[in-house]
Amino acid sequence: MAEALRDVQARFLAGVIGGDLGAEALIVDDNRVGAARRLDIYRNNYRASLREVLADHFERVHAWLGDDQFDNLTVAYVAAFPSATRNLRYYGGEFPAFLARHYPEDGELAELADLDWALRGAFDAADAEPLDAAQVGALGDGWIERRLTLHPSAKLLVQRHNSRAIWSALDAGETPPDAAPLAVPVTLLVWRLGTQSQFRTLSEEEARVLALLGAGASFTALSVDAIGRLGEAGAMEALAAWLGRWLADGVVVLADQA
Amino acid sequence: MDDRKTIASPGFGLGLRPDHYPEYLAGPQQVDWLEIISENYMVPGGKPMAMLDAIRADYPMVMHGVSLSIGSDEPIDMGYLAELKALAARVEPLWISDHLCWTGINAHNSHDLLPLPYDAPALACVVDNIARVQDYLGRRILIENPSSYVTFRSSDRSEWDFLADMAERADCLLLLDVNNIYVSARNHGFDPLDYLAGLPGERIQQIHLAGHSDMGDYVIDTHDAAVCDAVWDLYGRAVAMFGPVATMIERDDDIPPLSEVIAELDRARALAAQVLEPAHG
Repeated sequence: MAEALRDVQARFLAGVIGGDLGAEALIVDDNRVGAARRLDIYRNNYRASLREVLADHFERVHAWLGDDQFDNLTVAYVAAFPSATRNLRYYGGEFPAFLARHYPEDGELAELADLDWALRGAFDAADAEPLDAAQVGALGDGWIERRLTLHPSAKLLVQRHNSRAIWSALDAGETPPDAAPLAVPVTLLVWRLGTQSQFRTLSEEEARVLALLGAGASFTALSVDAIGRLGEAGAMEALAAWLGRWLADGVVVLADQA
Repeated sequence: MDDRKTIASPGFGLGLRPDHYPEYLAGPQQVDWLEIISENYMVPGGKPMAMLDAIRADYPMVMHGVSLSIGSDEPIDMGYLAELKALAARVEPLWISDHLCWTGINAHNSHDLLPLPYDAPALACVVDNIARVQDYLGRRILIENPSSYVTFRSSDRSEWDFLADMAERADCLLLLDVNNIYVSARNHGFDPLDYLAGLPGERIQQIHLAGHSDMGDYVIDTHDAAVCDAVWDLYGRAVAMFGPVATMIERDDDIPPLSEVIAELDRARALAAQVLEPAHG
């Protein structure tokens, strides 16, 4: 009995993805090109498309490592993670963790990858109407009790190395500094302003308060936390400055409208 | 009696590519309609969706998918189909197309348009899947002839016979990629005119033109170059046989400025007009 189509396809795909030689028996051989070279066209297409999308998603990891090292890494990653996504846009999500696992001594690698991936995520994250100063005014005094959250594009990233400085130098086409651990970890805010992904470094206190906001705290709850740490005058001054910037940057939404 | 299954040709179009967003936003272009790659807009929001909405306001659009995987011998991915339907509700496309191919199986994806055996079981699988998709979307879809590099040992009929039977049994439409016919003819050694003659013209809704890479012994469908003379000749033959069909140029790599692609599209307009002139004279 003829082999079922499903089995034929599983065998052919194993030939394309894994280089399984059994696939060659499924196709007609010829003297001009030959079954092996014909199948190689599909093998090459598969690897090239995944490597190309990794280079696109992780542009600064690529720039940091150079072509040869990045190529070696992507070959290993593509072998370890056959694509299970229908849309190439979502291939590569495990790349930062893969780098962290295989290069524990080079912590900046996974952090650069984290930042590249977060920026890509911010680029096409869901739309939501960010809160601005006019809306806060329109909501009146009651606004301080409304639960808040981060815009869907916004994400906090903790970095323990000077990865941000490396990323920025690579992005500007300048010589990056040597990788080095930071004395104190920093938190980056990654988000989309208009249609542009961006990031900035937060102070320890702003990072703490934004994390609470991201978990659904109201402005009143944020104030209570900040007063406990900074004192009343310091907290009010800091919160006013932070809030002004968050509203201008479009990183806050009402939790019930996210 | 008019037995056409298609709607009237909207004219000459192009594949919408992000490189050309600024030019489309800057002012009107000599392009009658645009084709989007559906998957590029199957994302939650941000710039892709903002550009899509802005440019859609000025141009009719059609949706062209690359991962429906109509030929996979497994249940259709209903999550994908739901996303496709939601995108169609947003875009209100003239039509929706994908390829005669499969892209993966058992939750693994090749991100390539893999060829099918041209035999009865594959035909049954494809016809069944098209019917499910058309029922779900509530409209006929277009299926495009792929370019291919291998022939399965179990194939017992030509690609054009397979397509003609498929279109009739599934009651779907066809997207004729003239470059793919040329590429596959070179790779498999058939006569492209036999291919054209074997197709049901009344079901051809759209034509694709594109460039390829000639490797000598074989040809790869790369969409990174201008349309070659042999493909223009074949396009002329197709227009002579099938009449005015919505035609567009696909360019996916080494993308030139929009004005250059429009100049190439003008060549398609001129050639089609020249071929069709006697019929209207």
